[in-house]
Amino acid sequence: MGFVGNTLAIVKKDLLLELRAKEAISIMVFLSLLLLVVFNLSVEIDTENVSRLAPGILWVVFAFSGILGMGRTSLSERDDEAYLNIYFSSVTMESFYLAKVISNLLFLLLMEVFTIISFVVLFDYERLILALPALTLPLVLGSFGFSVVGTLFSFLSTGSRFGEIILPFLFLPVVVPILLGGVSSTDIILNGSTGDTPAKWLKILLVFDLLYLCISLILFRYIIEE
Amino acid sequence: MLRLLDISKTYSMRPVLRGVELELKDGEAFVLFGHNGAGKSTLLKIAAGLMSPNTGRVEITTESHSRGGIFYIGHRNGLYNELTVMENIRFFQDISRNRNGKFPLREILLEFGLWQRRNDPVKQLSQGMKRRLSLMKGFISGADILLLDEPFSGLDVRWKEIILERLRGLKKKGVALLMVTHLIKEGLSVADRIGLLENGVLTFQCKKEEITEEEIKEMLRGGVCR
Amino acid sequence: MKKERITKILLALVLVMLPVNFYLIFQVAPTERIMGDVQRIFYLHVSLAVSAYIGFGVLFVSSIIFLIKKNLYWDTIAFSAGEVGLMFSTLVLITGSFWARPVWNVWWTWDPRLVTMLILWFIYIGYFMLRKSIPERMKKARYSAIIGILGFLDVPVVRLATKWWRSIHPRLSKEGGGLDPLMIKVMLFSLFTFVVFTIIVILFRFRVAWAEERLYSILNEMEEYHE
Repeated sequence: MGFVGNTLAIVKKDLLLELRAKEAISIMVFLSLLLLVVFNLSVEIDTENVSRLAPGILWVVFAFSGILGMGRTSLSERDDEAYLNIYFSSVTMESFYLAKVISNLLFLLLMEVFTIISFVVLFDYERLILALPALTLPLVLGSFGFSVVGTLFSFLSTGSRFGEIILPFLFLPVVVPILLGGVSSTDIILNGSTGDTPAKWLKILLVFDLLYLCISLILFRYIIEE
Repeated sequence: MLRLLDISKTYSMRPVLRGVELELKDGEAFVLFGHNGAGKSTLLKIAAGLMSPNTGRVEITTESHSRGGIFYIGHRNGLYNELTVMENIRFFQDISRNRNGKFPLREILLEFGLWQRRNDPVKQLSQGMKRRLSLMKGFISGADILLLDEPFSGLDVRWKEIILERLRGLKKKGVALLMVTHLIKEGLSVADRIGLLENGVLTFQCKKEEITEEEIKEMLRGGVCR
Repeated sequence: MKKERITKILLALVLVMLPVNFYLIFQVAPTERIMGDVQRIFYLHVSLAVSAYIGFGVLFVSSIIFLIKKNLYWDTIAFSAGEVGLMFSTLVLITGSFWARPVWNVWWTWDPRLVTMLILWFIYIGYFMLRKSIPERMKKARYSAIIGILGFLDVPVVRLATKWWRSIHPRLSKEGGGLDPLMIKVMLFSLFTFVVFTIIVILFRFRVAWAEERLYSILNEMEEYHE
């Protein structure tokens, strides 16, 4: 199969695997739920401040659950040396990487929708659900950035002694721009603002995504080759 | 054709391979014998391109019309445990380099005794079945060079015969075979040439006709050196 | 050898310039009207920041060269520069605190430049953590090169993002108002001094690291012949 065919085949395989094993998704979903509960217990969230606090809390939860879930997906190839199939096939490094980015993106989005729904339920904040269509773009752009960086880093960290523990240390500093962009655009969408539009922030997200996608595509092969 | 030229490998300050030279022509089978820890697996991985040697190089020349490349089967099976037999093999086909059209899967699954269990997840199969599935991938990969590390592990007599027959069939089609095994009789039955690896050195090489099973056993016991 | 001579010249230069620089900072530069003598930290703070960026910049370039050439020489330069960069950036953050406390009565300000330096600091902590966690030499070099490259490229993006962010959450500013021409001269001298200083420190760190590297490879070879 060609580039697109191969990429889609791997995405299909990853989705199928996740459907059966439910490893990454369950970690992400339960962790995000837990974090929301913990946030509420430690920070007094009431109808007064929920609008102000929501964007920050949501994106922090996305980042944490996201990175721990993404750490799992590179592992599925190590199990039983399954990566050998891909190594000796017509699949190129770029195709493999892109496929992983896409699968991770889908898992992230799933987790984020779940988190948003949980947030609405736990904190009685309906405005969030109503704003969901408007939030699609920030969510997709932000999650794509998370996935591009997280996928690359998960391959860096699973090979090492500390394993996935190191992943948040590498990931969180690098995705600061996404956090800023995501939180700010979400804040503007939910709470409005004077003289600031989400578009400005979405531009930063887009720049980040494209920049990191290009660089990661180039650098990925250096992780895999012996 | 596969050529290994002056291959040396040191791993964690220990020399594992020293100056190994090997030549394998199309349609030829070379079987490597030796004790555990002699470096056989390492040599195979280097031939497959999974490891790079400290000195020397691997030369692979295939005839212009064939683009099948290499296929390596190591100790592990390279299977996705949560997916079914069918899903594993379909995925493999989707990304395979084999442009000669899709293999009729039913036929080969029947021959390998896996048709009945085709919709069962791989993790439910016995060790022998998993091994057969793994080897099956090698046969449908369309590779020009097949590298096999202890292919018969977990297989009983009947299956060993079937696999050996298939391997002989591949040879007739011009596929080159480099195999590592501790089963001397089986190895001899498919080999054109054999070699003995001791402590990382290829101490002995000859044509299949020039040696007997007993003599090989003797050499492994540390006796006669020809 | 040419390298030896250049090193000696640079070293001599630094040994002279550093004391001169401190003299200039503490004696010659005029006292700032508003903030007083505390403002003098400014010269060090900015110079250290430039030094830190030089260190990380060298790490960035060396990492790229390493991935292309696969020679551990470049990886050694990379992590030597990284260590130096990390040290200087730590000092930047600390001097930033020393400055902020007396002037604005806070230990930290969310000024975009400081935040960028902090994020960079974290990235390079991550760089060394990654190195520590990988025992195999080549893999260690390859993987950390990737972080070195990605991390450095993050800097402009973080800078931009935090600048925009700060404009909607205005915080205490680090600007000190206009600069007296003498102050500018002292600043330039300070920058020059620290650039040379950084190069020397990286050079020396690299030498030690490279000597260690060569020692280990010799030891490895000896082990081989010990059969």
